[in-house]
Amino acid sequence: MLWRIGYSVRSKVLALMLASTLAALLVAGAALIAYDVRTHYERWASDLTTQAEILGGASIAALAFDDRRVARENLDLLRVRPQILAAAIYNTRGELFASYTQAGIPEREFPRPPFGSGVDVKDGDIEIFHRIVENQREQGTVYIRARYGLLGRIADYVSILGLVFGLSLLAAFVMSAWLQRAITRPIADMSQVARHVMESRDFSLRVKKTTRDEIGYLVDAFNDMLAEIGRRSQALLTADRMKDQFLATLAHELRNPLAPISNALHLLEAADGKPEVAAEARRMMARQVKQMVRLVDDLLDVSRITTGKLVLHRELVELRGVIENAVEIARPVIDSRGHRFTVELPPQEIYLTGDETRLAQVFSNLLNNAAKYTQPGGDMALRAEVAADEVRVTIADNGMGIAPDVLPRLFEMFTQGDAAVDRTVQSGLGVGLALSRHLVRMHGGSIEAFSAGVGRGSRFTVRLPIASRHDAAAPGASARDETRQPTQRILVVDDNQDFATSLAMILRDLGHEVRVEHDGIAGVAAAEAFQPRIAFVDIGMPGMSGYDVARTLRANTRTGAIVLVAITGFGQETDKLRTQEAGFDHHIVKPIDPATLPALLHEIASTAADRRTMDRTAR
Amino acid sequence: MATVIARLVCALILVFAAHFAGAADDSERALEQRVKAAYLYRFTEFIAWPDGAFAAADAPIVIAVAGASDGVAAELAQLTAGRTVGGRRIEVRRVTEAVLGARPVHLLFIPASERARIGQLARAAPKYAVLVTESEGALAQGSIINFVIVEGRVRFEVALAAAEKREVKLSARMLAVAQSVRSGP
Repeated sequence: MLWRIGYSVRSKVLALMLASTLAALLVAGAALIAYDVRTHYERWASDLTTQAEILGGASIAALAFDDRRVARENLDLLRVRPQILAAAIYNTRGELFASYTQAGIPEREFPRPPFGSGVDVKDGDIEIFHRIVENQREQGTVYIRARYGLLGRIADYVSILGLVFGLSLLAAFVMSAWLQRAITRPIADMSQVARHVMESRDFSLRVKKTTRDEIGYLVDAFNDMLAEIGRRSQALLTADRMKDQFLATLAHELRNPLAPISNALHLLEAADGKPEVAAEARRMMARQVKQMVRLVDDLLDVSRITTGKLVLHRELVELRGVIENAVEIARPVIDSRGHRFTVELPPQEIYLTGDETRLAQVFSNLLNNAAKYTQPGGDMALRAEVAADEVRVTIADNGMGIAPDVLPRLFEMFTQGDAAVDRTVQSGLGVGLALSRHLVRMHGGSIEAFSAGVGRGSRFTVRLPIASRHDAAAPGASARDETRQPTQRILVVDDNQDFATSLAMILRDLGHEVRVEHDGIAGVAAAEAFQPRIAFVDIGMPGMSGYDVARTLRANTRTGAIVLVAITGFGQETDKLRTQEAGFDHHIVKPIDPATLPALLHEIASTAADRRTMDRTAR
Repeated sequence: MATVIARLVCALILVFAAHFAGAADDSERALEQRVKAAYLYRFTEFIAWPDGAFAAADAPIVIAVAGASDGVAAELAQLTAGRTVGGRRIEVRRVTEAVLGARPVHLLFIPASERARIGQLARAAPKYAVLVTESEGALAQGSIINFVIVEGRVRFEVALAAAEKREVKLSARMLAVAQSVRSGP
């Protein structure tokens, strides 16, 4: 049994009980024996003393009158005590007067009495010499030798203790059986289930609860943990599968536009003297690049959401503008599929507090989806209505609808319907609705999807809180009428020649005076000579970084007031903080959508105005 | 001549033998008297006299020896010198019939030489006096303890009735070693 102690709680409990029983018995037994050895001696000593005293008293006359017969008769009475082996009476001169030896015991020479009385144990016998004193006179000495029997007594004790230990052992076994039922069996059950779980990875197993004590609580906790692990491993599996799907989709989606772009490049090479072919190729490339940019933007948004770094630029926006923006973005898809599309907005102006671009993204997403998942030539409608303090925007279609089992997880990341009905439509990454819901929630709103089933159309409703009238009062008029800005002097510094040149062309197209430099040092020189109002500066440049350019420009009074815009591939908060510290006013993440440039320039111009005001007050 | 010498030697041996036999007889007698003296002394330890037997709490126990010339008295005097029994000294006196009764006597030893006067001395002795004799038939004449020789050893016999009459109590332990105990008269 000992070799099993290490392996089961039950045997440990048993061993513990046996060990404690044995220890208690040994201690008790040792104490008992020690006590008995002492009392045994004391009892014998006092017993023999009494015996000797009686014998002596009875033999005084015999001694006095030299009557050995009587003395011997007195001694002979000792035969009723078989423990007494021998006895003798000595006279006052120490001479043997009378003696007695138990029948069957070999005669031994009687010792000479010592001077005085005393008890002595030797050779397993106890001996006593007792002086008989009467009338203050010594009358003689009594000697008694008895079988001490201490070893026998101890042996008796040990055998009794052995018996008791045997019974205790039995009791311990019985109790351990009971304990096993009460304590160790639930634990054993639990460990068995735990082993099964570890072997089979089956998290649906449960331990049966049999007690209501701490172990029962442990069983409950164990079961809860199993359930939780089961849920999590399931969720992990699902998430893993979704991510795999997503990666596959992503690769596919990113690869898709490359073929037409490649084709377009061939067309361009072969389009000498055929401007209409070249134009078509460029349009094709533009469409595909835009699609790729959209995909990558979505990816970036997903990354921002998962890291919690998606930030809204809140301002007061008018719903009509947002909807128009969204429709404008989705229009190409809607038109390409030949849908009938109606927009119905309330007559009054409705203001919302939020990020105009993000809100437009939400609605354009929904419109794109509606267009994509509806057979060509279908019906689509966008309808906004005010209900109390919220606006409800519903986008409905009569397309392929949504299966009821998909509906509950429609807004989860990477969920995607079956491939679009039409192969000509880009199906996207399956993050659009998740992004939309996230953005709507960030605006304090909600989004819901309804569908009567597959093939029966779908309906998405976005609810957003309306900004109070007080907030709405001021900007209304001024916000929109500055779309056309006065001509600005703009400096572009970027070592990426294509990017710098394309940006400069777009800016010139908007009517601005633009100068381009391709490194930091030239940029600083140009800034001083050209005296621009705004400077777009790339951060990662060889030689002199964008940070250094900003610091140098800020340090020079002639260039210190230029509105500095950092252009970088990095959009994290820490990156923004760094550019801000270097002296930049704005931080733009590449690539720049040309469509957003006017708004950006407008915003930049207004900060520039603020800046001048501040500078003036500072001075 | 040889026979004369042999006879002479024989005669000499006989004379010596007779002489030595006599000497042995004398020493045996002395030993017997010493034992008896010792017994007399030890008797005092086993006899309880009534309170009236003593004039005072520290009055001595008086052992009287009748007759003028007995070795026992001398032995006793030597043996008991400086010894006490129950806090009492022991006084040994030689007495004649005339002085008996005048002073207290607790133990009266009547040697064999005075055996003819046992009855007389018994009557003359004070009430509490325990008579000790060494003559056959003495118990019938008022003696309480009588020495006898059994198998060459000094033993004694006791007459309880006489002791009761004199209101003295003899210890049961003493009675246990007595050669015989007579309870009747």
